[in-house]
Amino acid sequence: MQPIGPMFKRILFTQWLWARVGLLPAALIGFAVPVLSVQPFNDPELSGAWVSFLLNQLDEWSPAYPILAAAMGLLLGLTAWSADHRVRHVYALSLPLPRWQFTLIRLGAGLLLLAVPVVTVWLGALVASAAAVVPMTLQTYPNALAGRFLIASVMSFAVFFAIASGTSRTAGMLLGVVAVVVVAQLFLQLFGVGVDFIGPIVDAFTSWPGPLEVFGGRWLLIDF
Amino acid sequence: MSTAIETQSLYYRPGKGFELGDLSISVPEGSVYGFLGPNGSGKTTTIKLLLGLLRPQRGSITVLGREVPRRVAEVLAETGYVPEAPHLYRSLQVAQAIDYHCGFYEHWDAELAERLRERFYLPPRQRVSSLSKGETGKLMMLLALAQRPRLLVLDEPTDGLDPVVRRDILDALNDAVKRGDATVFMSSHLVHEIELICDWIAVMDRGTLVVELPMTDFRNEIKVLHLRGVPPEPRDPPFSVLRRDGDTDGEEHGAVRWTVRGWRPGMESYFDGTDATVTEIADVDLENGFVELLRSFRRGDV
Repeated sequence: MQPIGPMFKRILFTQWLWARVGLLPAALIGFAVPVLSVQPFNDPELSGAWVSFLLNQLDEWSPAYPILAAAMGLLLGLTAWSADHRVRHVYALSLPLPRWQFTLIRLGAGLLLLAVPVVTVWLGALVASAAAVVPMTLQTYPNALAGRFLIASVMSFAVFFAIASGTSRTAGMLLGVVAVVVVAQLFLQLFGVGVDFIGPIVDAFTSWPGPLEVFGGRWLLIDF
Repeated sequence: MSTAIETQSLYYRPGKGFELGDLSISVPEGSVYGFLGPNGSGKTTTIKLLLGLLRPQRGSITVLGREVPRRVAEVLAETGYVPEAPHLYRSLQVAQAIDYHCGFYEHWDAELAERLRERFYLPPRQRVSSLSKGETGKLMMLLALAQRPRLLVLDEPTDGLDPVVRRDILDALNDAVKRGDATVFMSSHLVHEIELICDWIAVMDRGTLVVELPMTDFRNEIKVLHLRGVPPEPRDPPFSVLRRDGDTDGEEHGAVRWTVRGWRPGMESYFDGTDATVTEIADVDLENGFVELLRSFRRGDV
């Protein structure tokens, strides 16, 4: 049997080919966002009111990070499987490796490609931290920001990779379940039944220790 | 004689309307095995079962000495597969598709791949999506052959291709056969193609194996008997009568033709003591033999 190395190299290359159109601009955006976000920080002697104002301005850039992380996960998750779906997985299934191994290699290749925007966000955060003139009361957190971006990207990639790896029937069933839950909630509201089961579900996912908690809250490169 | 492929009582039913019933085939190692059958007879389903793309509901499959689907990855490492429909990633260029494929096979023959690419006029920078049907077929054949497989499984490899491309592909396949390093399992409904290169044939119809035998036996056993006189109603003949043609109205000098299976030299004596004499024993080409076999199978005579 062929060793894993050459197989991984080929699979990584194809996933790069399929994702590069989105991956390269995302890498640039990932570098630019932290750099642009700290432009107003140019005075070390600011008063408390000004510090709050600047932090609020910085906070306006916050959504850019989780959105970028989600988009990267979506892009890499979908492109990992779209070519296989088009040929009904016949090619992948006729290759000489077990399905679980093929899936793990695809997953590993996707995670490696995910490193591209994560590294550029980290580099951007480092450059921004060095360039910003930060008031004495504040600190920069480039590593924490990049780490959080990494976790959010991996989470998003894992979710979309799992969904995309299934058949369209599986995806349809998943969407069907979501639709049924939403419609059921709407009917309950319509008939005045005060039962909310979507709220707790959403909370379970988006609050600690829910898997999507990392996407919420403030993403600040500079903070107290 | 060792076998490259062996199935026993294989059963698969994907849904209503079709089932592969108790299929037992045995493909000798080193043979070129033609798997014949009309469209919808179960050829592609059988191939998918052999390569682990489908799971049988009953029965056993052994390919290259390994149980399928349990050890299918090992089987696929030594098997070149050309499916019925193109299965390659369409966004890759020809050279990229070749490079991708070679990463999975230990015995990849890069020199042969390049030779075949040039022979098939496949431009390395052209995308798979923009290749013609014939070029895609050639590329799939190139990939299967350059693996240097022990087993080649070809599912209608030349179906729908023009004669020039078909000849290119068959020539490449013939070269591989001459090297003698692979067993070839080739499905087709193009009988002439099978006749050209195969030394074993199996005929499928409606998910059932009609016949499996060496090509020489097929040629020797299926004959057309030209009879003169009044032939008897076939009663316990030592051969199967697949078809009766010609003047059967009982005229004394009527000429009748029987297409028979299981013919052996000396069986003319069956007609001794009847009013019929055998005037000629003619060979049947594979296509006519195939058609008669299927017809008599559908009548329930085989």
